[in-house]
Amino acid sequence: MNAPAAQAPPILHLSSVVGSPLRDSDGERLGKAEDVIVRLGGAGYPPITGFLVTVAGRTSYVGADRVSDIGPDGVVLRKAKLDLRHFERRAEEVLLKRDVLDRQLINVKGARLVRANEIELALLGGAWRVVGVDTGPRGGLRRLLPKALGAHIATGEFLDWASVEPFVGHVPTVRLRIPHPQLAKLHPAQIADLVEAASRREGEEIIQAVGDDDRELEADVFEELDDHHQREFLEDRPDAQVAEIVSRMAPDDAADVIGELDEDRRETVLALLPVSHRVKVRALLGYDPAEAGGLMSPDFVLLTSATVVGDALDAVRRSDVAAELLTAVFASAPDGSLEGWIPVTALLRADPAQRLEALVKHEIPTLRPDASFEEVARLMADYNLTSVPVLDEDERMVGVITVDDVLEAMLPRGWRRRFGLLGED
Amino acid sequence: MRRARSAIRGRPRLPARLSSRRARIIALLGLLGPGLIAANAGNDAGGIATYSSAGAKYGYSVLWIMVLITVSLAIVQKLAARMGVVTGKGLAELIREEYGIRWSVLATTAVLIANLGICISDFVGIGAAVGLTGVPVQVSVPLAALAIWLIIVRGSYRSAEKTFIWFTIPFFAYPIAAILAHPHWSTVGTQIVQPHIMSSSPYVLLVVALAGTTITPYMQLYLQSAVVERGVREDELPHEEREAVLGAVFANVIASFIIIATAATLYTHGIHSISSAAEAARALKPFAGRYAEVLFGVGLLGASLLAAAILPIATSYVVSESLGYEKGVGRRRQEAPVFVNIITGMILISAFVAMIPNVPVISLLVGVQVVNGLLLPINLFFIWRLSRSADVMGERRSSPFLDGAAGITVLVTSALSIVLVLVTLLAL
Repeated sequence: MNAPAAQAPPILHLSSVVGSPLRDSDGERLGKAEDVIVRLGGAGYPPITGFLVTVAGRTSYVGADRVSDIGPDGVVLRKAKLDLRHFERRAEEVLLKRDVLDRQLINVKGARLVRANEIELALLGGAWRVVGVDTGPRGGLRRLLPKALGAHIATGEFLDWASVEPFVGHVPTVRLRIPHPQLAKLHPAQIADLVEAASRREGEEIIQAVGDDDRELEADVFEELDDHHQREFLEDRPDAQVAEIVSRMAPDDAADVIGELDEDRRETVLALLPVSHRVKVRALLGYDPAEAGGLMSPDFVLLTSATVVGDALDAVRRSDVAAELLTAVFASAPDGSLEGWIPVTALLRADPAQRLEALVKHEIPTLRPDASFEEVARLMADYNLTSVPVLDEDERMVGVITVDDVLEAMLPRGWRRRFGLLGED
Repeated sequence: MRRARSAIRGRPRLPARLSSRRARIIALLGLLGPGLIAANAGNDAGGIATYSSAGAKYGYSVLWIMVLITVSLAIVQKLAARMGVVTGKGLAELIREEYGIRWSVLATTAVLIANLGICISDFVGIGAAVGLTGVPVQVSVPLAALAIWLIIVRGSYRSAEKTFIWFTIPFFAYPIAAILAHPHWSTVGTQIVQPHIMSSSPYVLLVVALAGTTITPYMQLYLQSAVVERGVREDELPHEEREAVLGAVFANVIASFIIIATAATLYTHGIHSISSAAEAARALKPFAGRYAEVLFGVGLLGASLLAAAILPIATSYVVSESLGYEKGVGRRRQEAPVFVNIITGMILISAFVAMIPNVPVISLLVGVQVVNGLLLPINLFFIWRLSRSADVMGERRSSPFLDGAAGITVLVTSALSIVLVLVTLLAL
């Protein structure tokens, strides 16, 4: 949180520019600067493209190319003559005071929402640019005090513009057209926390921006959202879009999301899913979400115990289960009932020609789909398990519960949100 | 098969689905929330004192005014709920974003002063209500303060909201007290619909004070922020609006019962001067019986507890929103230090002041009245302007009819409010 560079150019506060006089090249006062226009969307610090000014009670526009200097003494024109034009917003242009100041911004570095108490400008590479925002109380205090006093307040908590993403959803012409490239650097869970902390419109903007560049990431963010927000953001999307997002999720998360939809939409969305996905999701929807059946995932690696280790490792390679969740493969007896499991690490250490039956661990606890959540949690804690198989009445394996599902449901109320993860620094 | 069968069978399962009847009742209760809480916090110690003295001084003839005030409050509360749902932001946050930091800091400062004053008066009310049974304030007030603090800071938003809804149950004591007072029901009926205008200045002043105590800034501030924190979705907007309107109506029906109870007893027996809620409770005893006193005391306790809990929250919402700090009921100090510290500070100061013997509650309330009277027009004006702005509300901006009704309400209420301030200042 220091100034951008050692020999940083002097910083100019937006509040000292807005409201300052508009002067011609001779220093004659012509009017007042009302707002500063910048263009977002490009790489680097956004350049100032013009000023909104009032001259004799009329609001007009002065392009940045017609301005020779800006500072606390005012906005100084290059020429003696004033050439007033009507202001029309061009794409990607925002008014700093009207659209950015006092509003929320995403601090990408800390993955949290901050409010812009002051906007800092500097002369960089021959053009005036936005270099950062002040999120601390000093920036606010400066604007509260009369100008003569406020000017003495130094910059407070400077936050470099490179680690900031502004919301632009409320700006008429820019709506949704500015990418937020930095959001992709965040973990889906962090993005989900931002969406939950933001207002609805801002949350929608984050999700849209994420979805525009990366559908996969959008689906991951949806997986991490709490039920309430999942529902909120899926509600007014068309069925096809919901199906697209859901089809990118793991079946158990997909079932949770579909369970959140209105009853009359579920079938339509299900029908739009790819067949294999649909079958799994539909099966999961038959279980109570508070029981083992509702927690489990139908994606696991189950092989007959006659399989050789080399083939088993091949099956692991082909499986699309997330790497951190695929910690064991399961072995079944010839009649299809579950025999036991083998940790993936044990497979790696074993001779590829060996059969699984030589390695299988028989002593494993299992669950029925109707086991209550408490039983699931207690069992996994007692046996120190990261995954536990779920069997139907015929001892056939129907799913696996992994520790992430249980941990999420066990977090005390209030912990899920922000605590730790989003704490600054 | 040598699998260790885990002990998973035969345990009681979680109840899978609620029966439809139970689900319906829960849905109905689920409708109760911030609207009910916000409006009913207005029936606090100061409110009861005003309603009691209105009833004692002018009898049933002030009832028709309560109808007008109810309509105004319902409109304002509806707008606040609407803005909360649509924008997902509190009022202070919207003022900051649309009108700049100076307006928001001005409003925040006024809220801080006014709410602290009201909060003190409510802790005094808690002490007075419990004091009717002889328990000293040095015992009741610290206990109440601790309980309120725990509910706000240690619970979650949901659990706090549930507790606050329970706090509204004691309000039913007032209708019962009113019935025990044997009012002349047909007169009550006619006076509700029959405007009765007196031009005497004390009457006008009382009307203004009634409006001022019923429509208070913190109600809208709390409602809007709580709706946001509750996470009401846009498709639930009609429910939330209904809840806000019903809450306002319920609060004012209760207030009217307070007027009826005192009108039937104190007014008819020539006791015209009542200056506090506890005094009203004691004065009722000879005419409506011991139970009326107890009921008034219970009502006062519930109302004061509710308001003493809502005021710190509303204040803290406003400060956090306008200065951009983390907020949320149930947040721990590490998560939202400013939010929690303001709540803690307000409860501590209020409880401490309320324990000072012979606190000049009346002059305190007069001061509060002035600050609130200045704040209310600002608050209402912003609510009105923001709710009709297409930039803020998009397609959900007020319809011409709602906007017109809001405009009239804001103008009239603000005018009354300014009259109240002027009169109060001149009287000093």
